[in-house]
Amino acid sequence: MKKIIAVMILSIIWSAVALAAGTEYRMRVDGLVCPYCAYGVEKKLKAIKGVEKIDVDLNAGLVTVDVAEGVTLTAPQMKTLFQDAGFTYRSMVKKPLNEDAKNE
Amino acid sequence: MSRVSQSRGLFNRRVLGAVFLAGLGVGPAQAHDPIFGIGPHVIYKGGVEVAPEVHTSKKGNQRETALGIELTYGLTGDWSAGVDLPYQSSQDGLNDASGVGDASLFTKYRFWRHDTLGVQETTAVLAKVKLANGNEDTTPSVGTGSTDGILGLSYGYEGRKWYRWAGVRYRRNGENNAGLRRGDKVLVDLVWGIRPTPTSYLQPDTVWLVELNGEYGRHAELNGSSLPNTGGTEWFLSPGIFWTKRNFAVKFGVQIPIASHLYGRQDKTDYRTRLTLEWHL
Repeated sequence: MKKIIAVMILSIIWSAVALAAGTEYRMRVDGLVCPYCAYGVEKKLKAIKGVEKIDVDLNAGLVTVDVAEGVTLTAPQMKTLFQDAGFTYRSMVKKPLNEDAKNE
Repeated sequence: MSRVSQSRGLFNRRVLGAVFLAGLGVGPAQAHDPIFGIGPHVIYKGGVEVAPEVHTSKKGNQRETALGIELTYGLTGDWSAGVDLPYQSSQDGLNDASGVGDASLFTKYRFWRHDTLGVQETTAVLAKVKLANGNEDTTPSVGTGSTDGILGLSYGYEGRKWYRWAGVRYRRNGENNAGLRRGDKVLVDLVWGIRPTPTSYLQPDTVWLVELNGEYGRHAELNGSSLPNTGGTEWFLSPGIFWTKRNFAVKFGVQIPIASHLYGRQDKTDYRTRLTLEWHL
């Protein structure tokens, strides 16, 4: 009985963590050439409340952003953000950090 | 000696004999732009670039060192503006002087940008006004005493491995209170760069470059009379390096003269150097 209760508690905790997880946005961006220039992207993304992690893959032209639960990044918002940073936003794919990817 | 000759001698000592760094029309050193030439780079909207730098130059028995700080602000993603505040030290033979040099205001607008995966091609116009705030009464002078304007056009191709730039500038020099006007200048730049190892975002990044810088200057004038021992053409080959880590950059280059055709009797430039530290904030 104790084992069953323990498993149930762990399941509830795991579910709570999973439901509270945020979203990963993977964005295709053109014009990313050097780390120094990409710093502007990082700075602008960090200014958005709820952004928790940023990674830039220069060779693949990918900017990956993890945001907290309830935070949403939109395509028009990202288009403006990258324009202001001096680059060209192309598209994005988002997925809940614990689920399969969904195209936006 | 006639009064005109005396005046010309004074001119040569005070104005032509020094502040030749101020006559170059060096552009703001923004991000991955050439070191001596100009490039189309602008800082991101709302970004601040702080760039302390040191220029040195030797020409015969004249030496100059300019310590300066450039501050640039990103007005939009394609438009920046800033100020350059130098402190100049000049030596001409046994004479030397130092003091606040001529400050400059500059702006750059990137009017065309074509982005593809790992490549950015851009074109920008640049305008710069050099003020006449530096002291021109020292010997040698640390200020030119004239307000000068510079217009530039630049193209840049930046890839993950290769870089190339082309730029042209026209410098219109003003007249100072003594009726002296340094000759207008045209400057052209062709620059190639290579990143030997394409690094990832958080790694230190190095780009090597070599510039071909050409300068043509017209004769200077004193009260409308052309001064024969002024003006001409000089070409430089300029190896340089960018080293960056995240929002910090170090840039260094040396201008080595490879050809010159200077009017009359003039010392050729022996070398010039430029070291810039740069932060994006």
